[in-house]
Amino acid sequence: MNRGFRSFHPFVSFFYYVGAAALVMLNKHPVFLFIGGIILICFNIALDRGKTLKKWWRTLVILSLFFLIVNPLINHRGTHILFYFGQNPIMLEAIIQGIILALSLFCLMVLFSSYNLVITADKFLYLFSKWLPQWALLTMISMRFVPLLRRRLKEIQTIQRGKGLSVNSGTMKERAKNGIQLVQILLTWSLEEALQTADSMAGRGYGLRKRSRYIPFKMKRKDWLAIIYMAIVGSISIFGWWLGDGVLSINPILEPIFLEGREWFYLFIFILFLGFPLGIEEREALRWHYWKRKI
Amino acid sequence: MALLEAKNIIFQYPDQARKALDQVSFRAEQGEFIVLCGPSGSGKSTLLRLLKKEIAPHGNVSGRLLLQNQPLSQFSSEQLAQTIGMVFQDPENQIVMDQVMEELVFGLENIGMPTEEMRKKVAEMIHFFGLEHLLHKRTHELSGGQKQLLNLASVILMEPQILLLDEPTAQLDPVAAKDFIGMLHRMNEEFGVTVIIAEHRLEELFALADRVIVLEQGRKTHDGPPRKIIEEIGNPSNNMYSYLPGSAVLYLEHTHAVREEEIPLTIKEGKRWIGNLTIETKQQMKVKFPMSNPLIKMREIDFQYDRNQKKVLDDLSMEVYSEEWLAIVGANGTGKSTLLRIMAGLQKPQHGTITYRGKKVKGPLPIEIGYLPQNPKLFFLQDTILLELTEIARKQKLNDPDGKIIKILEAFDLIELKDRHPYDVSGGEVQKAALAGVMLSNPSILLIDEPTKGLDPEAKMKLGQLLKSLQKDGLTIVMVTHDIEFAAQYATRCAMMFQGNITVTDSPDKFFRGNTFYTTVINRITRGSHVPDVLTVEEARKVWHVLGTS
Repeated sequence: MNRGFRSFHPFVSFFYYVGAAALVMLNKHPVFLFIGGIILICFNIALDRGKTLKKWWRTLVILSLFFLIVNPLINHRGTHILFYFGQNPIMLEAIIQGIILALSLFCLMVLFSSYNLVITADKFLYLFSKWLPQWALLTMISMRFVPLLRRRLKEIQTIQRGKGLSVNSGTMKERAKNGIQLVQILLTWSLEEALQTADSMAGRGYGLRKRSRYIPFKMKRKDWLAIIYMAIVGSISIFGWWLGDGVLSINPILEPIFLEGREWFYLFIFILFLGFPLGIEEREALRWHYWKRKI
Repeated sequence: MALLEAKNIIFQYPDQARKALDQVSFRAEQGEFIVLCGPSGSGKSTLLRLLKKEIAPHGNVSGRLLLQNQPLSQFSSEQLAQTIGMVFQDPENQIVMDQVMEELVFGLENIGMPTEEMRKKVAEMIHFFGLEHLLHKRTHELSGGQKQLLNLASVILMEPQILLLDEPTAQLDPVAAKDFIGMLHRMNEEFGVTVIIAEHRLEELFALADRVIVLEQGRKTHDGPPRKIIEEIGNPSNNMYSYLPGSAVLYLEHTHAVREEEIPLTIKEGKRWIGNLTIETKQQMKVKFPMSNPLIKMREIDFQYDRNQKKVLDDLSMEVYSEEWLAIVGANGTGKSTLLRIMAGLQKPQHGTITYRGKKVKGPLPIEIGYLPQNPKLFFLQDTILLELTEIARKQKLNDPDGKIIKILEAFDLIELKDRHPYDVSGGEVQKAALAGVMLSNPSILLIDEPTKGLDPEAKMKLGQLLKSLQKDGLTIVMVTHDIEFAAQYATRCAMMFQGNITVTDSPDKFFRGNTFYTTVINRITRGSHVPDVLTVEEARKVWHVLGTS
């Protein structure tokens, strides 16, 4: 599917992910992170109805809970003692810090689960090829070779099983010997076939001069606008962090968790940045909705 | 002015006494469609590769190659890479990239074309080839025929003036091969691309070609328009006789005064010629094959590779009778090869039973079953054919291994090749060597997958005769094939596979007579006409007695 946020230039998407990851790591404030988490979950749902999250949610929750529990157990700095766990004092500060840590990690993981949906392998390769064109070509060729070799090995295995040569039965030594023979024939065969690939490359003029690169993506007006928008909002948000508005100070004095004054403004800015792709997706969905109603 | 001209080309591979090409000269005019034919090893590939500088073989060359009356060496490599395009035999190995789009523009990127221009070219060419629906696929998801069309398209995108093709349809099934040849013909007609194609499957090409060049042992023996060539080599004593299209052979054998312009090249022309004939039936040859003793019985077999994929075999039941030669035909992807693998015990069906000689089989099948895969190269693990046979004999614990090996090498005419690496011999030879490996343990049933793929007509005939003699000695053969002519000529029973099931089984006689498309060229010419319909040239020889033309 190539609509909504995914229709933007890969560079725009990449810029968003770098910015979002930075903001999520910098703004160490439970309210910021909690709202950020919700936005990112919604974005995931908007992209693929939460399929990826469903696959990963167990890991996400367990990892986050782990940090949530471990931090209070090992961190004893602070002034508010809540209770004693055995000999250890459990501090309010440590619990809040655990929550921040867990939320921050949670947000990062949710962010990356949408990363694979937005920046697909070919988009990544495109970004990558800007700086290292030779390596990108090599990567693309090897991307074909890995599954190819696997298919070939399977084919050889099946055929050799017909001759009574198997890696699944017999003594350890026999199996190892058979396995080596299979790999050996895979390599001989593949090298032989690769000669033909080399001929076909040479036949189409490979290596005669500097290659140009087919560019499947073009920076359009909306891509530039998105970059400008994200640059402005992102800078303001980082300025807010620098002022200390996006961070809950814990030591030496615990700041109240509830937001006050300027912090509201910076929360709004934070939402504007993180929620940018979600907004795009929702606008797209609404457009469809009204477009269908009009007919 | 000739577009391409070769003058007295002599070529010798290093360390080989024989000349691969000996005094070959020819001219190709702008827009000509030239078919290059000859047995494997006659120098067809060598000649084509010499014309394509980037991949020219190493060795001693003499003679002159001229492009537009100027020596090839005067052109820059980039000009040559663009002007002369080449498509090779194996559809898979020519593909470099993972994505179809990237593969298409690979050549254009190599010559440094800007993106905008690539986009434009790809857009129009994709449309011409009808490949739109494949554009965003990955290359390994395509079928063999689609891969070969992609290869052709990515070469054509560079706008070559001359297109060289080295047996491009040898690995394709008949339908895909026809599509490919059809596309090639359009390319030639609409763009005026000069085509030089080396091929064994000449049935369709003779009708399209402007000229046919015959190479034998590195020498050019014939050169001229297709009908003239047919007249020249049209007598059974000629080595090249088996290369001629069926319709032409039928004409030559049943006409007293052969007239060049009358030789039918297509089914349409064949039908027209037949229309004027009066033919009497000499004798009805009826060979009834006894089908009493089922050797393998399969009942309600279901098979799928993956739970989420569709069934490859669906409620399939069939029998294989003792000492028969069963040919299984059908389109690509109908599960023919899978069926063979299940019979060989290499795949386990999810449902159904297999009985062998009346006994239910569980676990590995008895070693009385020999299986020869589609790619015989994968059969070999050792460095020489002899070593491979010795290893098989050791593994199967045969008594008197040396005697048996010598005997089989002699029977299969492999003595001279026994110390060669299996990858260094020709396609027909590697097939024979693998067959020898299978037959060494003396199985009572042979399962063989696409044995004629990529073989020249002569190698095909030899293989057919070899298998026939093995069958006469009591071997049961089950063969999966696309080669209808081969099945019609040799099999004793034919089965059609469709959507994971066997739909029809009958003797070749009745089986092919009932089909409109899945039948031999000869049958398509003769069916529905007033002459007795026949399947093969051999049958016509026996049954027909031509009284005269009306």
